[in-house]
Amino acid sequence: MTGASLWARVEPLLSRIERPARYLNSEWGSVHTQEAEYRAVFLYPDTYEIGQANQALGILYQQANAIDGVAAERAYLPWIDLIALMREEDVPLFSLESCLPVSQFDLFGITVPYELSYTSILEALDLAGIPLRAVNRSEEDPLVVGGGPCVYNPEPFAAFFDAILIGEGEEALGDIIAAHRQAKDESLDRASVLERLSQIPGVYVPSLYHESVNGDGLTSVLTPIGSTPAVVTKRVVASLSAYAAPTCPVVPFMDVVHDRYAVEVLRGCTRGCRFCQAGMVYRPVRERSADEIVGDVLDGLACTGYDEASLTSLSTADHSQIEEILRRLTRRLAGTGISVSLPSLRVDAFSVELARLVSAGKKSGLTFAPEAGTQRLRDVINKNVTEKDLIDTVRFAFEAGWRRLKLYFMIGLPTETDEDIRAIGQVVERVLVAAREVTPPAQRGAIRVGVSVSTFVPKVQTPFQWEPQITLEEVRRRQSVLRESMPRKGVDLHWHDADVSFLEGVMARGGREVADVVETAWRGGARFEAWTEQFRLSTWLAAFESCGVDPTLIANRDRDIEEPLPWDHLSAGVSRRYLQRERERAFSESTTPDCSFSGCTGCDVCGDLDVDIVLTGGERR
Amino acid sequence: MTPGEFRLRVAYRKTGRLRHLSHLEVVHALERMVRRARLPFAITQGFSPHLKAAFGPALPVGTAGEREYFDVWLTKYTAATEVLRVLVASAPAHLVPFEARYVADSVPSLTAALTIGSYEVEIDGKGLDASSVQAALKAVLTTGEFSIVHKGKTKFFDLARSVPKDARVTDRDGGVVVELTVRMGPQGSLRPEALIRHSLEAASITASAVRTTRLETLVEGDEGVWSRPV
Repeated sequence: MTGASLWARVEPLLSRIERPARYLNSEWGSVHTQEAEYRAVFLYPDTYEIGQANQALGILYQQANAIDGVAAERAYLPWIDLIALMREEDVPLFSLESCLPVSQFDLFGITVPYELSYTSILEALDLAGIPLRAVNRSEEDPLVVGGGPCVYNPEPFAAFFDAILIGEGEEALGDIIAAHRQAKDESLDRASVLERLSQIPGVYVPSLYHESVNGDGLTSVLTPIGSTPAVVTKRVVASLSAYAAPTCPVVPFMDVVHDRYAVEVLRGCTRGCRFCQAGMVYRPVRERSADEIVGDVLDGLACTGYDEASLTSLSTADHSQIEEILRRLTRRLAGTGISVSLPSLRVDAFSVELARLVSAGKKSGLTFAPEAGTQRLRDVINKNVTEKDLIDTVRFAFEAGWRRLKLYFMIGLPTETDEDIRAIGQVVERVLVAAREVTPPAQRGAIRVGVSVSTFVPKVQTPFQWEPQITLEEVRRRQSVLRESMPRKGVDLHWHDADVSFLEGVMARGGREVADVVETAWRGGARFEAWTEQFRLSTWLAAFESCGVDPTLIANRDRDIEEPLPWDHLSAGVSRRYLQRERERAFSESTTPDCSFSGCTGCDVCGDLDVDIVLTGGERR
Repeated sequence: MTPGEFRLRVAYRKTGRLRHLSHLEVVHALERMVRRARLPFAITQGFSPHLKAAFGPALPVGTAGEREYFDVWLTKYTAATEVLRVLVASAPAHLVPFEARYVADSVPSLTAALTIGSYEVEIDGKGLDASSVQAALKAVLTTGEFSIVHKGKTKFFDLARSVPKDARVTDRDGGVVVELTVRMGPQGSLRPEALIRHSLEAASITASAVRTTRLETLVEGDEGVWSRPV
């Protein structure tokens, strides 16, 4: 690759913008490779402080840099102040490490973290000078490959990517790079490169699938062209132990979100909450062993200099050796001023015990997610938590000295009635009563309960993928029912913006027709939409209108169970049969146990993907 | 002195692209450097125990520093040369310590002691020359007063007090370099760059770029003698 660093043109701009630390690189742990046969750059489509701590990109950065002859760099979307100056001065999107134009790399990897990040991805491509649509790219353009949480319904953004990796990257990234290098050695043209990539398990090449459109103008189904696989099944690694966790990650200079050393203690969650996409698509459960985790935390802290380590996963308290891990860590870290944090807690006394173990006297706040107000609705969504569990846990936590609590709920779940919504207020009231009862009178004034209420967005590859999302008007009505039923004193009530939830719903289940809408909205100024002040639904409504797409048909329509779906050509390993059965069980208010605690519940992931549950402590408690 | 604790004073540079870091970012980076070096650092007592360290006067975003300081308290005596060696090995490029010495606990804190800052301001611009910049600066200095609006508040500086030494202006590499010494303190510290930009503007001189480096921070002793804090 040729080309000169853009730094001499970027630096003079830094005195004219906010937070220049976003663009400096040279952080501890960043990897700088001068000579490389193959160069990859990984973009998080938001600002540095939002994307820097992303653990998946940290893993891929380490993995790619470990390949002989390969250099991997990072890129983030500059904030709007710098983007404006870059456009004025004709400076293209640059990588951090070598400050080279992103367009000069061989591989441009983009993580797709959130439904409202699609316009920011277009902003990045455009700023990089890369044609927005894969079909318009030439031999000189980098291979644009996507991956990340949103890929299970990729059609709204598929046209902007040459290839999309479905599933885990540890093994697949190496396969993609090897195939691309090989193809370059053979001087294959772009179309042939894509054909090669489509043969790699887990790699979806959108241009090799033909779209059928139904009468409403919506995608009904995607069928393969030529020898392309009919269904792309997600990649998954059998054991996390086969891959060294990054123990020397980049240590940022500026304050970033999740600014601490994070160790992934397990992947996957089989609690089986029926609304939860992560719980379905990251199966099966695979734990890393206590020895590995403790060793990595100590190595990682030594290498980074962080004063906090976080044990991350979808459900850390479920790890079969969690108590041993925390006891060993607190013993080893005693007197160092270093703390350990747990991001997610179950609603039980055991979790509070774990929180107490790592709190070292500090009782900042606890978070629990009952999700629904009535037992009936919690059974529908398979949230296996009773109100007694919650009240007992609250009592236990406030007896132990906690005074602040955050509770997560959802409105708009399938079968929800106003009674279910009012029950949320009643549960919060009983939580407050329980908390006050066990708190000494002089300290009762300090009791605060944060209640965070989001709107349910049906996601693909879940038992609720066929359900209608409640309409915007209905969201507003139910929010007012909720507000009226919520106790005032001691409660901080927050909810997710209804407009945002609506658009998330369209992106979550939209087909290929939505790509035009995304591009039109971006041309209308949409970007950075995870930032509340940047989000405007009006831009989107205009875009839907001009593209002739009715968003309510995507978000608010009740789908027939037999209807072909625009994500049927992708599989997360969980069978459609299982999803349908879980849907039926939801409507009959029957719960399904967690297979990592009791027997197999037949989701078919292990058989389909030839993997197994990995519990390092033998069994869970 | 806290029994069993040793106060080490470290001098470091903030240079290159890291001139764009804020003071808080520098503080975090240095704390992480100390932890990476696995020094036997002391921990503060209290609700939220953390590494015991203290830092010199803040450098603004965009300003480099050639001789900045921080103090760190160790629980075990380690030869200062050895401490410096491990610190350097744990330092990010452009934020590198170069001197470490133990100081008595009775020595005043860095923020209290360091009241003099000596700066070098590089100015680029077409047709710039030292004499016109000198004249522009002098015109403002002789008025004896300078005010600046920062975050909606107006700050006034008595220039006779704030600029305790004559500025030196020289030509260098097609631009102009101003060496300026200012007094720093809790009432506010005059930013040399602000004074110079104001002077150039008043004299209708256009600068394409202004880069500021703090060369030293100094202690003002009795009878106005300036010295380093180690």
